[in-house]
Amino acid sequence: MTGRHLRIALWVLVAVAALGGILLALQPPAPASRETGMATIGGPFSLTGSDGQPFPSSRLSGKPAAIFFGFTNCPDVCPTTLSRLVKLRRQLGRGDEALSIVFITVDPERDGPAEVGSYAALFGAPVIGLTGSPADIERVKKQFGVFSQKVEQPGGNYSVDHSASVFLMDRDSRFIATLSPEEGDAVALAKIKRLVA
Amino acid sequence: MTRAPAILALLLLASCGQADGPDIRLSNAWARPTIGQAPGAVYVTIDNQGDTPDRLTGAFTDHAAMAMVHQNEMVDGVVRMRMAGEINLPAHDRIEMRPGGTHIMLEGLRAPLRTGDQFDLVLKFRASQDQPIKVRVLGPEGQ
Repeated sequence: MTGRHLRIALWVLVAVAALGGILLALQPPAPASRETGMATIGGPFSLTGSDGQPFPSSRLSGKPAAIFFGFTNCPDVCPTTLSRLVKLRRQLGRGDEALSIVFITVDPERDGPAEVGSYAALFGAPVIGLTGSPADIERVKKQFGVFSQKVEQPGGNYSVDHSASVFLMDRDSRFIATLSPEEGDAVALAKIKRLVA
Repeated sequence: MTRAPAILALLLLASCGQADGPDIRLSNAWARPTIGQAPGAVYVTIDNQGDTPDRLTGAFTDHAAMAMVHQNEMVDGVVRMRMAGEINLPAHDRIEMRPGGTHIMLEGLRAPLRTGDQFDLVLKFRASQDQPIKVRVLGPEGQ
């Protein structure tokens, strides 16, 4: 290869690299969307407390919170999850004030303030029960990326398939992590410890 | 009442070591308290100490309009609760129903379940006789 050929080859390489750079720059910024995805879970909302009064999400700020979406006609998974949260908070040993446990119904047609209130009272420790108009609930579900769907049951009643995750929010109501029913209590407790630290 | 002699006979047979059939023992039946019209869930431990498998086919109680064996499954982070069909009870094995999995759902409770309540539940099996058990309603401390 002569010196001239080599120079041409090098220039071709430079051109290819430059073209690649331009193409990369033109690509939509895909990796950034993951971070915004995390940050957009949650956000301010206004629901109804078990006393029938408006419950703005600002009442949760200043304290970490574990938020769970369920419904009061849910006999197994919902009470299991809320009992688990109460147990984990107890294991934390920092008192009930260290972490708010929040239950938001995905079944506002059946769950009024009285229902979410008496349901939340079944766990022997403070749990905040929230409901709202179907539109309010839809909005909050969207904010948290929660799925739910009614399923007819024999006998005319319905059950609700729904996201089983618990959302851990920090003192500034920023989303930090989820708790899954499948992870062990040790992992869950470690996450909560970090949250209240 | 008429069942007592039959059960006795079965027990006798079992003690002789000649019974090849399933040998079902129920224990630790409990439920959580409920509110209003909401359904309840009962958890039972079923031991099959016999040499052949059996199947749990259903549950009955006078305390609710319907009792159904249910299972939860997680699909993409979403829990679905469905009728379980029959539950297999292998020989010399134990099925321990635990919160978040298989349970007996009570729909149309005659009264909400309160901590400290007890009520009767009967489990039905393919091979074995019906087995009664007392269900205790446990508060958060007892669970």
